Order: sequence, then structure tokens, then C-alpha cells
Amino acid sequence: MDLDKCIACGACSDKCPKRIPNEYNEGLDKRKAAYVRYAQAVPLKYGIDAENCIYFQKGKCKACQKFCPTGAVNYDQQEEVRDIKVGSVIISAGFKPFDPTPYVQYSYANFPNVVTALEFERILAASGPWMGHLVRPSDEAEPKKIAWIQCVGSREVNTCDHPYCSAVCCMYAIKEAVIAKEHSHTDLDAAIFFMDMRTFGKDFERYYEGAQEDGVRFIRSRIHSISELEDRSLQIEYATEDGQARMETFDMVVLSQGLETAPETIELCQKLDINLSPGKFISTSCFEPVTTSRPGVYVCGALAGPKDIPLSVMEASAAACAAAGKLSSARGSLAQEQEFPEERPVAGDIPRVGVFVCSCGINIAGVVDVEAVAEYAKTLPYVTYVRNNLFSCSQDTQDKMAEVIAEEGLNRVVVAACTPRTHEPLFQETLVNAGLNKYLFEMANIRNQDSWVHSGDPAAATEKAKDLIRMAVAKAALLAPLQEVQLEVTPGALIIGGGVSGMNAALNLAAQGYTSHLVERDNALGGNARSLRVTAQNQPIAPYLDELRERIEAEPLITVHLNTTLKEGEGFVGNFKTTLAGDSGEEVVEHGVTLICTGAGEYKPNEYLYGQDPRVMTHLEIDQAVLGGELDLSEVNKAVFIQCVGSRDPERPYCSKVCCTHSVESALAIKEANPEAQVVILYRDIRTFGERELLYKEARSKGVLFVRYDLEHKPEVKATDDGLLVTVRDHVLDRDLLIEADLIGLATAIVSNRSNDLAQMFKIPMDSDGWFLEAHQKLRPVDFATDGVFMAGLAHYPKPLEEAVAQAQAAVARAVTVLSSKEMMLPGTVAFIDQRKCVGCGVCWTVCPYQAITQDDKGLAVVNEALCKGCGTCVASCRSGAPNLRGFTNQGVMAQIMAL
Amino acid sequence: MSENEQFQPRIAAFLCNWCSYGAADLAGVSRLQYPPNIHVIRIPCTGRMSPKFILQAFRQGVDGVWVSG
Repeated sequence: MDLDKCIACGACSDKCPKRIPNEYNEGLDKRKAAYVRYAQAVPLKYGIDAENCIYFQKGKCKACQKFCPTGAVNYDQQEEVRDIKVGSVIISAGFKPFDPTPYVQYSYANFPNVVTALEFERILAASGPWMGHLVRPSDEAEPKKIAWIQCVGSREVNTCDHPYCSAVCCMYAIKEAVIAKEHSHTDLDAAIFFMDMRTFGKDFERYYEGAQEDGVRFIRSRIHSISELEDRSLQIEYATEDGQARMETFDMVVLSQGLETAPETIELCQKLDINLSPGKFISTSCFEPVTTSRPGVYVCGALAGPKDIPLSVMEASAAACAAAGKLSSARGSLAQEQEFPEERPVAGDIPRVGVFVCSCGINIAGVVDVEAVAEYAKTLPYVTYVRNNLFSCSQDTQDKMAEVIAEEGLNRVVVAACTPRTHEPLFQETLVNAGLNKYLFEMANIRNQDSWVHSGDPAAATEKAKDLIRMAVAKAALLAPLQEVQLEVTPGALIIGGGVSGMNAALNLAAQGYTSHLVERDNALGGNARSLRVTAQNQPIAPYLDELRERIEAEPLITVHLNTTLKEGEGFVGNFKTTLAGDSGEEVVEHGVTLICTGAGEYKPNEYLYGQDPRVMTHLEIDQAVLGGELDLSEVNKAVFIQCVGSRDPERPYCSKVCCTHSVESALAIKEANPEAQVVILYRDIRTFGERELLYKEARSKGVLFVRYDLEHKPEVKATDDGLLVTVRDHVLDRDLLIEADLIGLATAIVSNRSNDLAQMFKIPMDSDGWFLEAHQKLRPVDFATDGVFMAGLAHYPKPLEEAVAQAQAAVARAVTVLSSKEMMLPGTVAFIDQRKCVGCGVCWTVCPYQAITQDDKGLAVVNEALCKGCGTCVASCRSGAPNLRGFTNQGVMAQIMAL
Repeated sequence: MSENEQFQPRIAAFLCNWCSYGAADLAGVSRLQYPPNIHVIRIPCTGRMSPKFILQAFRQGVDGVWVSG
């Protein structure tokens, strides 16, 4: 397929006679041999699957070529092998969902109503085989009872040999259960069979609780077997926690399959000489989480260990940062400057609207009578030129349009074609090439929202195309040329917080050639990590911190400000100005970006005798005492760890993510120092996610005891003459256990510093738990809605050290996108205030989600164009009609409505 | 209206550029079919949605207004 010629009309697929199972829908429906893998594909281009194509296999057919309107089908294309010279390599080959087919215990291969989670995902999807209708495969009837079985291909060494936890399945199973209930026409009974519920991410615990409130049943159990009944329903036999055998029937069973590395990816890694972990993921160090064993080769995503989307996105930016660090001297060396003709002034001229009606081959013209539409367009007010193009987006048509715009003296352009979401930038460039301001452009969407969706009613589609063009022309006549503001960028960063995240951010920025001010309120760098003993890979942290400090001291691009706080801050992306207050007085720092690395604190409990008995200590206190030599682990004989102290309770309804692993590490260290010691961990769910599960396994094999408790029966701690005594209700035995202890470790919550001043200074939001709220939880995990401000570390959410390092690298990569240009252009579609109408009531600056509106010295509203994102909320909210939005003015939108 | 003639409402849809407008495009890519009596007006954000737009649409004779974002 010639990608330059393919316009994604789908004619090839339509005419292709070969139907094969559609892998995008997990084989639940069929696709053609000429196909696009999924509707959201970028670029949206069709391809031919040669292995299934009749022409490629039997030498006959060529239907796709015959019907392709642009001549894009080319059967002579050959696989090409190319050599590309690069400075760094990033591997992001991802994971393969675990395939339960060969394992009899999952009953997947024989029972049609046992589906994998990915199949169920497709069943729920609007683009799936049943358009999102909840049905089961055997009879396409709507299931009334569905069971999810967790840890399929995870935490299992008997047959499939995956000892690790896949980290994402608990969350996706809950999500599927909740969405299935939403899609169901009945009161769907959804049950999740699990061992430990691992909802450790940001806002995940709340989601888990919400699902329980919605009636999703969570059954802590081990599955014995699944058998099929006559009506193809499924009977699950399972054992509950207290050892009871139970049986229940479901219409459908979903297997929460785990993540694994594909055999071909393992082969690739071996070929590249990259070390793999025990679970066959690429092995990385906690200190360099995206760096592989091979210099110059970096990794991100689930190939470096099972993980979810936010962390994968974070690591993707981190890998970009690491990969670019060594190449920074070459930045921009292959870039070319584009030149454009001078802009023709049109302000005050009578509108001369040119309308280009696109046929898009047969995509539009096959349904809409484009000639009639073009004739109609000629009758519209201010329209002076109309032309029908076969393909408006082709290069020759673009050149022709630029010529026409100049020749005809057009000063507004309407293209009736596909969608502005993909093609507006292209046509705007055509305007610029013709010397016209790019904002004098409007599109009428007569393909995606007309011919494609009304193909059965050409007459109505033609009328609608006329309507859409009439509306576009009405708006276009009122368009004004807009100026894009150019901003200088101060090429330096302010990093707030000198912990592991801040230190890594400063060093990574320096590696990219940028200066930074590293501000720490304490008298030394290092933050919470100074109190931590080891990482989850048992690497000592103190020497690592020493090395970071030495490198920072030796780095001329980093200025460290200790004992320093922020007094005030102003400005916006590229141009921040912050006043620091330190030992030597005040200092004003100018910076282009701001990195928030302010960390978090440790919760100090008032239960379990904490603060009253010195043998009751928090995690950090135990680590500190060991590091300081005050606590000798070989002298500990009876240790008890209590999990979830201050986490997952009504006051702090979140999981602190690191504490399970931390207690297991500490337990292992005690067992190492004194193998005879009795170590008990009292937990609610053990959340040793990913390959941390191996630590949990090791702890059990070394005799560490794990006893589960629940929130209604919290353990009790008493001091007796002989030592400490812990009482806990054991669920397996269903009776109270009395455990003696000479050391109690409390896995206390990580709590936010709640830096409200900082939030206000940099216009960044905070959630109800006090964590700073990123621009998008999944897709923009280190950005804020406010441009030029980024974050890393615990200020975002509790996380282990390796994630803080990755996030710091990610924040640097994002920051460099700002710092690497000398100046930046801001879009012209921003709000402005007509101060003659403004009364200074303050509604607009209250509702502005970007805090782009302030009060000037007359008390009236004024828009900071650098902060404005053009959402128009101010315009909609003002009672006096003072604000207006360029590009989407009141007059413009009204004209569109009046042309309906 | 005669009994044979079914009521066909005219609907004005104000769709946010970043989500619902994209979804309407995707419906096209997937060739989903729906009645043609719905006209989309693209807005930069549902925050832009002034009550006056809704009133004006009704004044223009539409039977329903759909705001989505």
C-alpha cells in the first residue's frame, strides 16, 4: 500500500473477498485481508495482509487494486532492510498477555464462555464484535452472573512458572466489573475471586471501595476447578480463606491474565546482549530504572517489569531523557528552518470567501452530490469563489489552492472535506503559503460527520453538506486574522525539593546542558532517602546519595540553595520569576520551567503504643536506627510488623504503595541477621507488586509468618512485663493469636506536605489527599495543566525510589521540550477582555481553570495570553459580555447557529 | 402531522473538540450510521457553552440541543 496515496476510504477492505479472524477483537469477529487494524490507527492507512491475501497466495483477485480510487495498492512492495545510524536505542517492545490455552486448569480452550480479560475488554468496547453489548460468546445472550479469576499466569510456579505479580490485573478486573455492570440491562452479579487485592496506584483504592459499594463481590479464595454445565454455564469450585469448600455457577468466567515477555522479544534482548530479570523482563537498577545492561540502550514500559499506563508513559519520557542526555550536543543539528511569504493585511476588507468542496475520491462524492453542493455554495453571502477538488489534501491541489487564493484575492477560506482534527493544520499551512493569516480558515466536516455516516441516504447527506457549508461560511465571514504571541524562554530550571527526585532532575538537566537552581528547605540534600536502608533490590541507599551529592557539587550548571524556602513567585511558561529566602537573604531567580519535587512525610500514628514504648517504631525509624548503629538486627528475636498504619482507612483512603515491600525487606534483613528470629507480618492485602512478589515468596520460604487482619479487627498492642504482646484475629483459624514481640515495626502511611502556598504560587491543583494533580492521570503523569510546571517524586503520590528517579527523568524530558527552544509561539485562539464592559465582578478569574485571568490596577479583568488555553469558560460565564474568545467568538458561533 | 409521518426532530449538537467531536469523527471512520437530522457545531471546550447558544438554537427552530464534552 502506498501510504502517500491511501486516503483510508476503505474501498479495498469493502471489496476484499477474504475474511479472517480479527486479531484486534481477539478473534471474536472477522476482518478482511485488506484492512486497517483499528479505527483509531495513526496514520490512518490501510494495508494488505499478504499471508491471507488471495492474490498473494493464489495469484488471482486484485479486487482492492481495481476499486482503489487513488491507485494506492501496489503488490510489488518488498520488505526493505535499512541501516540507520543512531546515538541511542530505546526498547519499548511491551508485553504479551499470558495465553491460558495450554493450561487445563483454566478450562479456557474447551469452554466458550471462559474468556480472557482482553477478550472481555473487546466485548465491552464500542468498536468490539458486539458494539459494546454485553453478551457471552456461546449463545450471544446477556450474562447475568460473571466471575473474574485473578492471578491467571501470575504468582504461579506450578505450571506456568510466573512467580511475579503482573501488577495491573486487580485494577483492570475491577474496571471491567464496574463497566460490565454499567453495560448490563439487568442487575449484573459480578464477582472477583482473588488472593490479595492490589490497588496500590493513585486513586485506585477509592475505585476498589467504589466497586464494593456498587455491589461487585470480592471473594478471597483459591479456585479448585471450573466445569461446564449443560447450558454452557460454568461452575466454579473454590476454597474460602477459612478452608471451606464452596461452589457457585456463573454464566461467564473472565480470566485475569497476567503479563509476560514475548519469546521473540526475549530473543531480541539476547541478540542485543541485554540482561533479563528472573521474570524475563529487562533488568534495570533501582537507581537507573530505564537503563539496560548495554550502554546506550534504554528501556521503558512493561518490558522492564509489569506496569500500568501512567508508569509506562512516565518511563517513556524518562527513557527519552536518558537517551538524549549523551546526544544533547547534536540537538537540532538536522532541523531546517521553514520560510513563508509575508502576510497580506486583510483587516477591514470585505470578506471574499473561497469554498473548496472536496470529493475525497468517492468517499464524499459517492454519497454527496458535490456538484450540487458546490453550486449551492456559490449562492452564499460573501462567497466569491467555489471549486470542487478530487483530493483537497494532495500536494498538487494544495499548490493550486495557494495559487487560487492569491489570484482571486480570497481573504477567508472554507474547505468542506474531512475533519479539522486531522486536516486543519495542513490547510492552514496552505493559507500561510498563500500569504494569508492561518486563522482565516474554517472547515465543514462533510465526510466523517456526513457522507460516511449517512451513506444510505444520499439526498439527505447532500442537504446536510449544504447546511454544514452554510454554517461554516457564516462563521468564516466573521473570522479575523489573529496574532501569535512570541515568548522568549529563559533557559534554566527551578527545582523545588532536594530529595532523590530533585537531585536526579538537576543532574539530568545538567546532562542535557541546562542550568538549574536546586532549592532545599533542609540543611542537606537527600530528603526521605537519608532514612532509607536499601532499595527493593537490596542495594544500599546511603552510598548512592553520597554519589549524587558529589556529582551535584562538581556540576557547574547546578546551583544548590540549602536552608532556603520560596517567598513568592510569578510568571508563566518560559518566564518564571521566583524569590528565594535563604540564610544569605533574598534572591530573585528567573527560570523557564519549574519542577516540583517537594516529596512527602511519614505519618506519625497515635495507636499501637507508638510514642509511648521505644520498641514500637515506624519504618523510617527502624531504617535510621540500623543505619546509625543504634539497632542491631541480629539481636532482634521476635519482631512484628503491622501494615496499613494510617493507610487505607477512612481518613486516608489510599494505599501508600511502598510499605508491604518495605516490611518484607526488613523481615528478610532480620532473618538474615538472626535466622532463629520469629518475624510476623500482620497485613490486610500483601501488595508486593511486579517482581517484588519474589521478595514475598523468599520471606515465606525463610519462615516469615504472614497473618491477615481486617479493618474491623485491628491488632492490639500491649506492653507486659515480658515485652510487647500483640493480639490479632486470625482468619484461617478464626481465633485470636497472641504474639510476643521485642520490636514492632509500623508500616505507616506516606502523607502529603499539603503545600498550599506552592500550589497557589505555581497555579497547580491538589487532590483531596493532598497529592498534586497531574494534567492527565494516565497520559500526562508529570505535567500540570499549567504549562512549564512539572513534578516528580512523592509530591505526586507515594512511590518507591526507582519510580521517583524515573519520574524525575521524565519531568526533565518534558521540561526540555520548553527549554530547547529560544522562543515559543502561543496560539492565537485565546480570550480577551473588553474592559469597557468589565465591572470587575471576578466571575471570570474565579472560573478560569488555568488561572489566566487576573485583576489589573483598575480592578478590571485582564487575560494573560501565555496562560490562556482558549477554553472560553470566561466568555460563557460573564454576565456583562466583556470576555470573548478569538477563533470562537460569540458572533462567530452565533452566526453558525443562525445558519442552522 | 399525519399519522404516517414520523416526527423527525432537528438536533443541534455542540461537541467539545477534544472528546465528543473526535468521537463523532470516529463514528465516521467506523462507518456507524445515524439519522442525518443532527448538525454538529464544534466548540473548543464545553466551558465555552453559553446559555445563549442553546436559546438561539431553539429560536432557530431546532427541537433538541445536545451538549457533549
